[in-house]
This record gives sequence, structure tokens and C-alpha cells, in this order.
Amino acid sequence: MSIDAVETPRRLLSLPRPTALAAPLAGALRRAAPTVAWGLVLPAVALPGWYLAARSGVLPEQILPAPAYVWSTFVDMVRSGELASHAGISLLRVVEGFGLGMIIGLVAGAAMGLSRRVDDMLHPFFIALSQVPTLAWIPFLMLLVGIGEPLKILVIVKATLVPVVINTRAGIRNIPKGLLEVGDVLRFTTGQKLRLIVLPGTVPPVFTGIRYGLTHAWIALVSVELLASSEGLGYLLVWGRQMFWLDTVVVGMIVIGLIGYVSDRLLASVEARLQRWAPRHD
Amino acid sequence: MTSPRGQIDISGVTKRFRIKDRPLLALDQISLSVAPGEFVSIVGPSGCGKSTLLRLLAGLERADSGRLVKDGTEISGPSLDRGLVFQEPRLFPWLTVVQNITLGLQNQRMSRAERRRGVAEHIDLVGLAGFENAYPHQLSGGMAQRAAIARALVNRPEVLLLDEPFGALDALTRARLQGELQRIWAHEGITMLLVTHDVDEAVILGDRVVVMAPRPGRIARGVEVDLPHPRIRADDRLVRLRNDIILGLEADEASTNAQRPAAA
Repeated sequence: MSIDAVETPRRLLSLPRPTALAAPLAGALRRAAPTVAWGLVLPAVALPGWYLAARSGVLPEQILPAPAYVWSTFVDMVRSGELASHAGISLLRVVEGFGLGMIIGLVAGAAMGLSRRVDDMLHPFFIALSQVPTLAWIPFLMLLVGIGEPLKILVIVKATLVPVVINTRAGIRNIPKGLLEVGDVLRFTTGQKLRLIVLPGTVPPVFTGIRYGLTHAWIALVSVELLASSEGLGYLLVWGRQMFWLDTVVVGMIVIGLIGYVSDRLLASVEARLQRWAPRHD
Repeated sequence: MTSPRGQIDISGVTKRFRIKDRPLLALDQISLSVAPGEFVSIVGPSGCGKSTLLRLLAGLERADSGRLVKDGTEISGPSLDRGLVFQEPRLFPWLTVVQNITLGLQNQRMSRAERRRGVAEHIDLVGLAGFENAYPHQLSGGMAQRAAIARALVNRPEVLLLDEPFGALDALTRARLQGELQRIWAHEGITMLLVTHDVDEAVILGDRVVVMAPRPGRIARGVEVDLPHPRIRADDRLVRLRNDIILGLEADEASTNAQRPAAA
């Protein structure tokens, strides 16, 4: 909310203080409810559609399994621990590759944002590198490191790296010159400028980069598992297709989508927490 | 009691810029002295170098030649005894009003309690009590500028430099803040230099109005405003002074344009 341009301090005092504006949880839920309801419209239409299509027999059951059949396969795979084992392997790869890619990306992006010379040296190379799609790196990397774990990790590192570097670099470069000048006037040391201006000022764009990085990492993981793996969620899809177990394929797709959705929402909530000072756009 | 510090002496200051490979004489041999506790308004059309002069005094830029001296010491960079208020509030959006003002004391040696007391005093001084924990986006333009003034004053500078601080505000808010600034100046008893393009503002606030002219940036004349503070906008003598200065500015402009080819 914004306070009007009324300048009389006494009148201003009668307005609620910002601290008193923290909405109680119930209010937040009431406001979130319509958003959630609208979000459920598409699934609510798609699910009966899927059910009717499967039931009508337009497509053979091997190609379009019914929702109930997929559900029972899902329950079986959860009970047997098969799903957890594939998902666990995939998640571990993402955690390793995404973590490594994020660290390298933050360091490289910060160096490029802070130093003109480093930027002159790395930026053209980096742009060229990022123009080659992640998937196009796989044949070359296969020859270099084989088809074992290092291949998957390297592909995920590359996928994470690009958005993290781009956003970190831009975030540092876009720090308003005016704020740095305030730092000069207040006699800030270089360390103080970094800690008190550059760091807090780059949180939003850096976090956006990290979120994109995670999305890209997850997509890259599934792609590389489709091509070269004997375990993991991507492998589950390939294997299900080869065996003509489309129920397994659909379960795999839904789980991949759900994990991606949940992890993005988690990062989004951390992002909102770090930016409590920003005006709300909801 | 206030110390008799805050004396400023500018002598023969010249500053050149290069704009698109063409040299521009922003300030040409400027000399000006300001007494401790004096309020000097600097007024002039855009391009006359008035903001450049203020930035030199703040230590954000260096003169090409000439000397800028405060209390006998040559100005060689920013200092906490010279506060600066910009045209935009330039508050840190991720910090509350209190935190923004406390940032002014970042490099001041004082205890936590002293710091807190100093910040609270200055929040009261600029009339922001009740808004300590508001974020900048929750403030109106006038309130944000009040916070910026508090941040510049919290170090208890001997000189406060104001670079068109009310230029972006609506007329009503501007008039109110001009009144507040008169009160703050009387309360603090420090030297103030105000750069503005608003002649009304210059005569209401200044003990003296320095009129600058462009191409090259130079001082055209100085006008004493020998009237007691606080002043009333409608005062006849003030209105006459204002009209006199505006006529002078218009004459300067006409003669400057006559000297220059129309193609410029």
C-alpha cells in the first residue's frame, strides 16, 4: 500500500502504521482462495476429459491408459519403492549439478558484474557457450566423460550456469549509480558498498536467476536421463515406452511435473521472504 | 551552542567536461565565500553549472583548477562534515526509514544507544515520527525527501548541501518543506547551500542569492536578502527581489543567445 501525498504529520499519524498492516493468516488465506480455485479449473476439466476419452475407446488402452489404471500403477510403484528410488536418484543428480552450477554461476556472474576486465574476457565466450543448447553438448561430453554420472552432472551444471550468470551479472550492473554515490557521500569503504548496497540490491535478480537455473536443471536432467541412463525418472519414461507400459510413462511425467512445480514454489516463497521490502504486485 | 565552523571559500574554480568529444566549460573561474551558519541559494538556468559546483563541494568531483576550502582545509573528497541531499531521495528500498537514516552513521564512532538517540532525534526533526518502520515505497515523495534530509543531517554536518531537493515535488508539498527547511536551519544553525531553479524558493530561504549564468558557467551576480527569518511568501520586498532576479535572468538569456549562432 502507499500512503497519500498528504504532508501534515498529524494526519499521517492517524493512518495505520505499516507494522500494524501485517495481515492475519486468515485474511491471507481468504485472499489466496480464489487464486487456488482458478488454478484448479484446468485440471478439473482435463481429468474428466481424460476419463471419457479413455472410456470411449477412441485410442487403444495400451496407448491411452485410464486415470484409474494410472492411479493404481502409481500406488503400486509407491508401495514397491520403485518410484521413490527413481525419484531419489534424479533428485540427487539435480542437487549435485544444480548446487555446483549455482556456485560457479554466482562466482562467475559476480566477477563479470564487478570487474570490467573480467567481463571483457569472459562475456563473449560465455554468450557463445550459452547459444549452444544444453542437449547439443551431450554427444561431445559423452565422448569426453562417458555416459556415467559425470555426464549427467556436467549437463545439469551447464544448464544451471547460464541463467545464474546472466542474472547475477545484470543484477550487479544495474545497481543504481545514485545509491553508490550515496555510499560515497557517507564515506563507505569498498567493502561496505558491497555489503550494504550491492549485495542487498542484487538479491532479487540473482534469485530470479537461481529459480530459472533450477527449472533448466530439471529439464536438462530428464533429457540426459532419456538419452543415457539406466535409472532415474527420465529412464522410467524410456523404459515404460519400450515395454509399452504407458501407465508407467504417465506416472513418470506427472511426478516430474509435480517435483518441478513444488521446487519452483519453494524457491518463490524464499524469494518473497527475501524481498519483503518490495511493493507487492498481487 | 553551535561552533563557528562551516566557512566555505571557493576561489578561481574551473571545471571542464567533454560531451561527445566537444569540450564544455561547465564552470569558469568561480569564486564565492560563505560564512558559517549562512544560508546561500544558488539559482540559474539549466546548464549554468550550479549542480556541478555543489558536487565539487561535496567532493564527488574534482575541479580542474582553483581551490575549494572548508574551514581552512582543502576539499579533496566526500566528508561526513559536509552532508548532501540529492534531488531524488535515493533511499535504499530494502531498508526502513530508521535503517536508512542509521546508515548515515555507518562510519561514525558512537555507541548503539547514542546512534539510536541521534536517529530518533532526526526523525522527530523532519516530522517522520510514526513512520520509522515504513519502507520507501510506502512513502510519498515529500516524506521520502524528509527521510533523505534526516540521513544527511544525522552526522551533524557543519555544511548541508542541497541539490534541488524539492524540484520533483508538487507545489503544496514543496512550500511546506521549504518552511520546514527554514525551521531546521534555524534549529541546527549550520551553513546551508541550496541549488535550485526556483527563484521563489531561492529568495524565501536564502540570506543571499547567487545568480549563475550558462556557457560558460559563471556567477552573474549576488543579491543580499536582508529580511528576517522566517519569511512570508507574500512579503512585498521578497516579491520585488524575486521579480528583479527573474528580469536579470531573462536579460542574461537574451544576451547569451545573441552571442551564439542560432544553429547551436
